[in-house]
Amino acid sequence: MMLSLGPIIFGLILGLVIGSQIKLGVSDTHFTLGSFVVIFIAGIVVAWQSGNYPFYTDLPISTAFLAALIGIFVGKLLFARSK
Amino acid sequence: MSQGSMILKLISLPISIILICLGIMTILGGHITPGGGFQGGAMMASGIILSILVYGLGNSPLELSHTYIEVLESVGALGFVIFGLIGLFVGGFYLYNVGTDVLNIVPAAIQNVFHYPDVTNAGIIPYLNIFVGLKVFVGLSSIVIAFAGFKKIVEESE
Repeated sequence: MMLSLGPIIFGLILGLVIGSQIKLGVSDTHFTLGSFVVIFIAGIVVAWQSGNYPFYTDLPISTAFLAALIGIFVGKLLFARSK
Repeated sequence: MSQGSMILKLISLPISIILICLGIMTILGGHITPGGGFQGGAMMASGIILSILVYGLGNSPLELSHTYIEVLESVGALGFVIFGLIGLFVGGFYLYNVGTDVLNIVPAAIQNVFHYPDVTNAGIIPYLNIFVGLKVFVGLSSIVIAFAGFKKIVEESE
């Protein structure tokens, strides 16, 4: 198994950049911590179904997708503005 | 402008986040699989567009500010041009792939700096994909944000 660092690093960076723009509490729906846990589990299912895209040699899960998802959540927690 | 039902409002943010992740995945696999900067950027923009259409402008959890759009658009364009100029000055051709160096004219140190960390020997192509993806992402999003804003102005003036 050979893990490619490229998609993990740049997936995290792109996710952080976009996650910084998520702001909750602006609409009449309320997303709680539980909602984000559900989104994360759904994301893991999508990443699993994507297979080992894009390099076909590393983990049996899409590392780029997973890194982007983690990046978005971390970016939301660290940099997100509240309105 | 918001016209979504409660079901739409509950499901749109999760779908938007997953669409954006799929877009990032498409960008990062662009050098060896179908897809790339433009396609991935359009997928990411579709996440933002879905969110703005359902929640409405000014009320959307995923909304890009003016400064953010400006900065990402500039970073995308400048990054592409700078990578092209690096190729021009180091290799002699505009957008020469200094990370792979097919013609063996680039010093090994520079080649190592621009080598993308993966098993394929793609050089600067993934970086160009990322810059193009960022530019397309904010470009398409800003078009929809502008249209939604115009509609809001027209509705207010009537």
